[in-house]
Amino acid sequence: MQQFLNVTLTGLGQGAVYAAFALALVLIWRSTRIVNFAQGAMAMFTTYLALTVIEGGQSYWVGLAVALVAGLVLGAVVERLVIRPVEGGPELNAVIVTLGLFVALQALAAILFGSTFRSFPAPFDLRGFSVGGINVAFTANSIYTIGAVVVVMVALVALFRFTDLGLKMRAAAFSQEVSRLLGVPVGRMLTLGWALAAVVGSLSGLLIAGGSLVFPAYMDAVIVYGFVAAVLGGLDSPGGAVVGGLTIGLLLSYVSGYLGSELVALAALAILVAVLLVRPQGLFARTAARRV
Amino acid sequence: MIRRSRRSALAAAIAAAALVLSACGAGGRPAEGSGGEGASAAVGITDTSVKIGAHFPLTGVAAPGYSEIPTGAKAYFDFVNAAGGVNGRKIDYVFRDDAYNPTQTSQVVNELVLQDQVFALLSGLGTPTHSAVLDYLNSEGVPDLFVSSGSLLWDQPAKNPQTFGWQPDYEIEGKIVGQYVAQNFPQAKVGLFLQDDDFGRDGELGARRYLDAQIVGAERYTPGNTDVAPQIAALQAAGADLVIGFNVPSYTALSQLQSLRLNYRPQWIYSNVGSDPGLVGSLLARFSQGAVTDAGLLDGVITTEYLPGVDTPDNPWTQMFQRVWNEHGGDGELTNYRIYGMSQAYTFVQALQAAGPNPTRQSLVQAVERAGAQFQGPWVAPFRFSADRHAGISGVEVTRITGGKTESLTPVLVTDNGDAPITQSASRPTTPPANGIPAVPVAG
Repeated sequence: MQQFLNVTLTGLGQGAVYAAFALALVLIWRSTRIVNFAQGAMAMFTTYLALTVIEGGQSYWVGLAVALVAGLVLGAVVERLVIRPVEGGPELNAVIVTLGLFVALQALAAILFGSTFRSFPAPFDLRGFSVGGINVAFTANSIYTIGAVVVVMVALVALFRFTDLGLKMRAAAFSQEVSRLLGVPVGRMLTLGWALAAVVGSLSGLLIAGGSLVFPAYMDAVIVYGFVAAVLGGLDSPGGAVVGGLTIGLLLSYVSGYLGSELVALAALAILVAVLLVRPQGLFARTAARRV
Repeated sequence: MIRRSRRSALAAAIAAAALVLSACGAGGRPAEGSGGEGASAAVGITDTSVKIGAHFPLTGVAAPGYSEIPTGAKAYFDFVNAAGGVNGRKIDYVFRDDAYNPTQTSQVVNELVLQDQVFALLSGLGTPTHSAVLDYLNSEGVPDLFVSSGSLLWDQPAKNPQTFGWQPDYEIEGKIVGQYVAQNFPQAKVGLFLQDDDFGRDGELGARRYLDAQIVGAERYTPGNTDVAPQIAALQAAGADLVIGFNVPSYTALSQLQSLRLNYRPQWIYSNVGSDPGLVGSLLARFSQGAVTDAGLLDGVITTEYLPGVDTPDNPWTQMFQRVWNEHGGDGELTNYRIYGMSQAYTFVQALQAAGPNPTRQSLVQAVERAGAQFQGPWVAPFRFSADRHAGISGVEVTRITGGKTESLTPVLVTDNGDAPITQSASRPTTPPANGIPAVPVAG
């Protein structure tokens, strides 16, 4: 029972991180119709920036702020300089460019920050709670992680559903020409979409790093699982991304805890294939024709 | 609608492809060179030089710590070269990065053998990596000395006549740790935390010989998957109050962090591989300063040792290595990993001396078989080299980490694979030669 409880809680904590990452993917997908494979590398890069700031003697929160601002700038710059030139071509081009960016950023980080493991501080206590003599694998830091993800999800839903800006962003993504005719500054909306997604991605990078070890490839597993989470939830739905992320976190934790840790990657692939076979639009995407 | 689902299917297909690609590791350059003259006796050696090669993870997950080993070896070879080399030959040491990826190991070893034309390979690191080149080196007839890994694979002289181990293998380490626990913690419920490969398997084999009845759970982690929460939770659930880890250093840090999360405080025992206090301590230091206040998560951890460490600056061997590092080292301090590399280099110099004034690849291997068991150096127990055995150091001592240093819990214990008994070592601590260079007679 204790084992089940701990595996579940650990899974939820991991799942929150996958959810944050899936949210960033969903955000870019919703606002630009591109799957950004460089998301993880961008998050890794901003996390290293935060680590540099923190090692320079600043607090965790200054590091967090630096990472988020850096993410915002990086996202906008990447969209303007790297993605914009290939937009409008075949849809695969932009995706392949993000893959290239992924490799390039990882190599650059290894050169700038070194490729060794480094520890990343956590803002809150890493010791588990003890409730009535039972130890629970849940720490102040996991509450912070989950809380941060929930706040970001709510903010994104609000942005897309209730604001003018959100509507414009969706419109720009869905039909550029029509939006342009209606007076939406499409170019700016696309840049904004990337910038916001990179902020969310940076946050997920920091949340994963907190109280653990970072190295240039530390996001690799998260990229894959976060993508599975986004597909599971339907690439279009922020709520779906969060539910997908938590589901993947739990499932993989059970697989690792009860079946064996060598099966984790295989299980993720199996889930991905199963979702695509049974419900390719994801569990939460609306199947009706899209209205803007 | 159709358009959308086709898009996400396309994206998913790419993700699946990316998964497969990352599982295969990066592809790369095809092997160059035309080779063919590999078996010739004169390859890699002249009257004034001898060229040897090695593969190490200089980048990637296994790089922390391990990437320092070749810098130590290089410093020692520079030290020997500055004193005139071995029989007038300068040692030219080439090491290449394989990123702990067996595909790349095959490639760089190909380059070392065909392009650099090395005389011998020295201390290639890692079980999965070196396994990938084992057949190749033996079929090419390249001496493959002192592999940096405690796998039992290197001790198969009938199948792999060129390959020799060096460090105590994981099975005898497991046996010695197992016996220590059975004698000193007879009531303990023992859990095992194992890397899911030869390392964990051999260690478990040794430990179970003495502890089978006491073991309540054995959990395995896959290297690369940094989430060890389920494994540690399972050990806790099984009620293990003493955990023996056969894992690499970063997983020592991860397992400690995870236990903290679970308020799980068993007596930890880590194999020598995973316990370097300097490296693990630097990974954990930040957590013990900030949210976690009790300093030194590793205090009280039990481990094993077979070489002097930087925490014993009075040891004459440490002093000698410190002198070598000061004179010929590069950036950074002397570390236990650099001492490891220097000790291997020291062994190699002995092997080269034993092979006589005109060594060939064949005579080098024969010299290690004939004289290797008598080599003396910083290691605590002799090698088990002979014509029938290519196994490395025969024993370890059990130690405890306190305040960043280690204290001995047992004398040096020696044993052999299988059901060989564990005995107290008869050999005395050695001291280094005054000039820091061994003088081994030619093997008869």
